[in-house]
Amino acid sequence: MFQVGRASIPKPAAHSLEDLDSVQRVLLHSDLEPEWLDSVQKNGELFYLELSEDEEESLLPETPTVNHVRFSENEIIIEEDDYREGKKYEPKLKRFTKILKSKKLLPKRYNKKNSNASGPVSILKHQSNQKMGVIVQQRHKDVNIYVNPKKLTVTKAKEQLKLLEVLVGIIHQTKWSWRRTGKQGGGERLVVHGLLPGGSAMKSGQVLIGDVLVAVNDVEVTSENIERVLSCIPGPMQVKLTFENAYAMKKETTQPRQKKAQLNTSDLVKLLWGEEVEGIQQNILNTPHIVMYLTLQLDSETSKEEQEILYHYPVSEASQKLQSVRGIFLTLCDMLENVTGTQVTSSSLLLNRKQIHIAYWKETDKLLLIGLPAEEVPLPQLRNMIEDVAQTLKFMYGSLDSAFCQVENVPRLDHFFSLFFQRALQPTKLHSSASPSTQQYDASSAVLLDNLPGVRWLTLPQEIKLELDTALSDLEAADFAELSEDYYDMRRLYTILGSSLFYKGYLICSHLPKDDLIDIAVYCRHYCLLPLAAKQRIGQLVIWREVFPRHHLQPSADSNTEVFQEPEGRYFLLIVGLRHYMLCVLLEAGGCASRAIGNPGPDCIYVDQVKTTLHQLEGVDSRINERLASSPTPCLSCADWFLAGSHEKLDNLTTSPILSRLHGASRVATSPTCRRTLFSDYSLKTRKPSPSRSGGPDSGLEGEGVGLSPHTTESQGSHGSEETGALLKVTKKKSALPNPFHLGNLKKDLSEKELDIYNTVKLTSGPENTLFHYVALETVQGIFITPTHEEVAQLSGSIHPQLIKNFHQCCLSIRAVFQQTVAKEKKKALNGKDHSGSTNSVSSLNPVKEHGVLFECSPENWTDQRKAPPVMAYWVVGRLFLHPKLQELYVCFHDSVTEIAIEMAFKLFFGLTL
Amino acid sequence: MGEEGTEGTIHLLCLAASSGVPLFCRSSRGGAPARQQLPFSVIGSLNGVHMFGQNLEVQLSSSRTEDTTVVWKSFHDSITLIVLSSEEGTSELRLERLLQMVFGAMVLLVGLEELTNIRNVERLKKELRASYRLIDSFLGDSELIGDLTQCVDCVVPPEGSLLQEALSGFAEAAGTAFISLVVSGRVVAATESWWRLGMPEAVLLPWLVGSLPPQAARDYPVYLPHGSPTVPHRLLTLTLLPDLELCLLCGPQPPLSQLDAQLLERWWQPLLEPLRGCLPLGTRALPAGFPLHTDILGLLLLHLELKRCLFTVEPSRDKEPSPEHRRRLLRSFYTLVTATHFPPAQLVKNPPTIRESWVRSLSWKDPLDKGKVTHTNILAW
Repeated sequence: MFQVGRASIPKPAAHSLEDLDSVQRVLLHSDLEPEWLDSVQKNGELFYLELSEDEEESLLPETPTVNHVRFSENEIIIEEDDYREGKKYEPKLKRFTKILKSKKLLPKRYNKKNSNASGPVSILKHQSNQKMGVIVQQRHKDVNIYVNPKKLTVTKAKEQLKLLEVLVGIIHQTKWSWRRTGKQGGGERLVVHGLLPGGSAMKSGQVLIGDVLVAVNDVEVTSENIERVLSCIPGPMQVKLTFENAYAMKKETTQPRQKKAQLNTSDLVKLLWGEEVEGIQQNILNTPHIVMYLTLQLDSETSKEEQEILYHYPVSEASQKLQSVRGIFLTLCDMLENVTGTQVTSSSLLLNRKQIHIAYWKETDKLLLIGLPAEEVPLPQLRNMIEDVAQTLKFMYGSLDSAFCQVENVPRLDHFFSLFFQRALQPTKLHSSASPSTQQYDASSAVLLDNLPGVRWLTLPQEIKLELDTALSDLEAADFAELSEDYYDMRRLYTILGSSLFYKGYLICSHLPKDDLIDIAVYCRHYCLLPLAAKQRIGQLVIWREVFPRHHLQPSADSNTEVFQEPEGRYFLLIVGLRHYMLCVLLEAGGCASRAIGNPGPDCIYVDQVKTTLHQLEGVDSRINERLASSPTPCLSCADWFLAGSHEKLDNLTTSPILSRLHGASRVATSPTCRRTLFSDYSLKTRKPSPSRSGGPDSGLEGEGVGLSPHTTESQGSHGSEETGALLKVTKKKSALPNPFHLGNLKKDLSEKELDIYNTVKLTSGPENTLFHYVALETVQGIFITPTHEEVAQLSGSIHPQLIKNFHQCCLSIRAVFQQTVAKEKKKALNGKDHSGSTNSVSSLNPVKEHGVLFECSPENWTDQRKAPPVMAYWVVGRLFLHPKLQELYVCFHDSVTEIAIEMAFKLFFGLTL
Repeated sequence: MGEEGTEGTIHLLCLAASSGVPLFCRSSRGGAPARQQLPFSVIGSLNGVHMFGQNLEVQLSSSRTEDTTVVWKSFHDSITLIVLSSEEGTSELRLERLLQMVFGAMVLLVGLEELTNIRNVERLKKELRASYRLIDSFLGDSELIGDLTQCVDCVVPPEGSLLQEALSGFAEAAGTAFISLVVSGRVVAATESWWRLGMPEAVLLPWLVGSLPPQAARDYPVYLPHGSPTVPHRLLTLTLLPDLELCLLCGPQPPLSQLDAQLLERWWQPLLEPLRGCLPLGTRALPAGFPLHTDILGLLLLHLELKRCLFTVEPSRDKEPSPEHRRRLLRSFYTLVTATHFPPAQLVKNPPTIRESWVRSLSWKDPLDKGKVTHTNILAW
């Protein structure tokens, strides 16, 4: 155990001190031996994820389950451990079972018994993935049994489930007492109450009493349809029965709702773990999509079949076609570049009447291609995606060549791209969450937000912010305890370059330069770590890998590194997740620290320190929640409120309009002059985009927050901790962007109904708050802000999701136009300003600065047939600001807002950083 | 406009799909026809990739580089049109429509029969020469927008009803129902039957008349790409006033000689003044004195059901930017908005109703507010 972590590194004699060090270290930590140590791969990489159900929150009488998942070279092993009992496997045994399992020697029964004995059960379905060699212990198990319906003499089944008994040999009694919780929609669960002696089920030896039969040949069965399903078996054949084991069943029945949510999320987790998720994957395989890495240099004489393909994924029939026409892409890439002098960026083609876009990414003499159906992924988006992919791969592997051309990377890339396509083609599946509205919001916004070069950012009140900053700074300073150089009297292993803290997928604190931050964020986004942290509490997440941040690897990027060391300083990314927190730390080896040799694995001390930092922040967590249990600040309206007659019906929703109006009231109460001073004081030029709240308006806002809290709790009480995100957001808007758009609306309010503002009781009349949604992108800091999931979830309505979806689609197309503008501007800057200035605008609309689209929306399921469905018109407006900094703002608002108000909103937003 | 540099070139290639023999290549640069041509090897490989894909049941439809767009389209499995455009702000939508128009023009002048059953490539090449002029007018800068919108360019005459009456009377006298009055490629007035012409030819015929060199009278055989792609009709044109022509579409009868001066005089002499009033409409489209806000620099009004459009950049002529510039802006705005927000209906499931879209482009001057702001608007119901 002692040498783990550095085990694979060939150590020169000079490092004996270090050896001693690591021994000492492990000794020190021997009482809490890190669970992830075994998972470190040969090349030092680690991806260790462990879920936990919080003990306090858990309603289960059973012991909480902890699932350990380990990534090792070619297998994933999930182990079960029971923390509460403090029980640990003996390492040797653990290894032994691991080996057994990896060689498929261990019968499934073993797992079964094991889990029965120790209680906890893996939430994962059993899957064996050929390619990856994954072996996972299952919650579901498949049993193949032989059935022969011909042996049956046709009898009139007086008893229910006759066939089940006769054919399969499973006895199920429909006693009410067997049901654990009231009603399950559509039939009872098929619990195995007994096995028929000599029956196929017993012969198989894998069906146990207490198991629940959930599917026959992947057809879901209950007591209602089992007979029908079984009667469909035409003749003697092998039938696959899928059982859920008793323990999991119990869990599910005691709290079906929670279980369901967890199942959803575990899809995501499964994907992360590199498992195949049935159904999802299958669906995807039917849509043509492909990624290929081709070489352009071919020696035509020896050319073999498919020799130019260095990597491709996936292997499916639909993508086979795309692979077969790779000649087109190669030719086009070569020829068009010769003819036009610019690189080819994309192609479109029709395959089975389906339009497919192919994006190109050329690097030296290699070509990366990604093809996706136009229906799912519009072209501008695809272009951004391929750029993202290339960037992420470079971040992870240094260059595309080193990513694709090494054989051992293939399974990893397969995993990488399976996640990638999952995100591209079925965003809903990954963004599953408890409430359908947030899920939809996630899915629709992912399309846009995943493409933005930024991180979703939230601000906190000053004091919390300060605390976070201090904690991170302490960590980064690395000058205490084991991290300090004095401690061991030797060079430290790594210098911490910076860190950034995420909470529930929102960035709350960052000490990283923009480029690094974005690199890390793209990595996290790619591995779905952000939604993961948002949706479930992470038991423990440790990621360690060498990375190649472009910011640091560019020559003369960092003066520090230049002075102290040879250009090959190496960088490591350490991500530690705990509950909803995730802390990403960028480490540098070489330079001030000692140089890295070989492929160092994660260092316990650093991991522990980071973890400690997260533990420190536990208190803050609850305070944030508390503090943020107030209203959404840029108050949003639900589109549905604008439909005629819907006001009366939506009683439960009125809290939010009340909120917004209340909010509006107090906003106006703080005088405009006051706000202006805030703007002038405020500067985003600080290293961290931390909005410092200046005194004046603060007090006013604070009071408002308090005043509103009773209302909020009414509507949000049940959401519990999930609220945090929303609230974080809120403060950001309060301080950094004092409601630019909202202010505009208020202006209107003010002018039209000045009295109403102070008389908040009178809520039913008067002009409405007409801001629906917004997205603001600040490229300098690499952040963007939008309303949070919870804010959106509050505004549930029939039209609102539709509206938000439209909004995101529009933003996407508007942004595509803006991107052209930006590209032109860059070109212009390169070419020099003399001649191109005049030619640019001659024939095209460039540079586009603002783009607006007006929509009409009506409820989808309008029941009243006498009246025509009400129609609502709303705008989506995006504006791009090139000077002094690149900024984009997208707003969605009701048609009734005056142009002046909007103009005002934009002015305020862009004025902020001027 | 001449200073566009190397960019802004359009190459149009027409090949016989089966043999890959180029039928013609047209190029234009900066809006004017150019002689510069693509090397033969490039033409070959452009066609090659398309054919290669087709053999594997993959239709290559377009490709883009940073500044160039290539669009392939094959018609009736016998003609492949390829366009390669590096014009600024070009889009697939524009190029696809361009190819449709070009093919329409080829059918209009040569007939579908010739194009689908290519027996003698050399002869077809010669015949296609007749269509160069028309095709070049699509490639270059045109004052019309019908090629892009696929709607007939119209003008609003000051005394429309008078002209309409005269037109129907003349139609009766001449013995054909298809008559229109065209001023420099835009339809001033037309008979009901003329309006009922199908899509490519409704735009193509006035366009053809506008692109031909001025003549007092013509008798021109045309195929109607939609109506009768294989049987030719006669297009008779009679110049009433310079730039103002009367177009008749008819079968073998009546001969041109029958439409003599007397007949013309009888019907059109009394309307000389209204006809004169139509002349300046060529570019202005709206009659003088039409109330229009002074800030409106250009206008494009589409009637999607009737397939007619009104396009003008003449109001407040003297202001910046120049009419040519405005025309291009409006064209690219139309392309942008149509391509992104009003996509062809069948592609989108359950689209939200988009009513209006606008772009505020801050161009060519001070990047801050002091510069001129083009604010364009398309309203489509």
